[in-house]
Amino acid sequence: MNEQTVTLRLGPFTAALTTPFADVVEELKRLYPASFFQNRAAFVDFRVALLPGKGMHRRLRKQARFLIDGQEHFKPLPADQALALVEWGLNYAIAGLAHHYLIIHAAAVEKNGRVTILPGSPGAGKSTLAAGLIHRGWRLLSDELALIRRHDGKVVPLARPVNLKNQSIELMRRFAPGAVFSAPAFDTVKGTVALMRAPEESLARVDEAAPPGWIVFPQWRQGAPARLERFSRPAGLVEIAHNAMNHSLHGEDGFELLAGIFANSGCYRFSYGDLNEAASAMNALAAA
Amino acid sequence: MSAIITSPDTATSADATWRVAGQVRWRLWEDEAAVYNGRTGDTHHLADFAAWVFAMLCRGPASATGLTRAAEEAVELRSGEAPGAAIGRTLALLRRLNLIEETRREQGR
Repeated sequence: MNEQTVTLRLGPFTAALTTPFADVVEELKRLYPASFFQNRAAFVDFRVALLPGKGMHRRLRKQARFLIDGQEHFKPLPADQALALVEWGLNYAIAGLAHHYLIIHAAAVEKNGRVTILPGSPGAGKSTLAAGLIHRGWRLLSDELALIRRHDGKVVPLARPVNLKNQSIELMRRFAPGAVFSAPAFDTVKGTVALMRAPEESLARVDEAAPPGWIVFPQWRQGAPARLERFSRPAGLVEIAHNAMNHSLHGEDGFELLAGIFANSGCYRFSYGDLNEAASAMNALAAA
Repeated sequence: MSAIITSPDTATSADATWRVAGQVRWRLWEDEAAVYNGRTGDTHHLADFAAWVFAMLCRGPASATGLTRAAEEAVELRSGEAPGAAIGRTLALLRRLNLIEETRREQGR
């Protein structure tokens, strides 16, 4: 297998990926626009590699390893999960190294110039809600890592593919039939996963940071009507601090940054069971 | 690490005067408080009576006796507990979290 290196733009960052997995590179080219691939980057933030497995296991089943700056942080995964491994590995690299941002484990979408931050633990439905909203007029900034700029509190876009899991994949195929999806990877630690390319407008506006307007804690519940309820700002701030990847590193400045965001944002809990209803409720919130 | 604090803790002395500790940052919204402790890195959510006591101390130093007097006029405890006992236990809890400090001890250094 011949190795190649592709230099890929991830919002404000640049990653150089070296790999012999040509099929993964082809998938990345379907999921990211051509303008995100750079022939020559003056500066690279992350040097990563996706390499074949080594040792006895590779003879039993083809494996893939992900390295950041030559260091292997994850166990190898089956080679048919290599694309998911790249996306998870890039998230790990950003969350672990980009401490000049306050990084919240949250999706972030924008409408009418203001961002809705959607924090949530795995399974809360934040990626699914974000995926639905970006096909109903919202702009994707991120489905997983909300990057908060320290000097002005604005959210900086990543505009990377949305990670979908299990039943959300089929749900989004029906909800957005024109969207571009990767082939699903089965039996991963998160179940079946697939990536969905961000809409063209989100990709074209990747340089446009925007201020937060709402913090919405989503919770998907089967059959539940869409319901927005006001949520206490102190409770929300503490919960979002829990969801921050690096809040403790920012100390007092991190608290002041979050406090400023909450002072100027509406804070809600949002339960939903249907994406069309959810989009209507969120559109009404953004229009109010 | 964070915690939601709603109920008082153990007793503390009545004559001491308390204030918000120097390393603490906070925001008061809707009768609740988000409080960051710079010493421990913890963020706390104070609600109900704990939030009321903390908000009183944000206005300025106060003793347990003064806080009890204010609580008797302003607060109806849902637990039915005597305000003095509730104040004592709440101050002990806030002190244990390093969110407040005794002014007298500070001045005596």
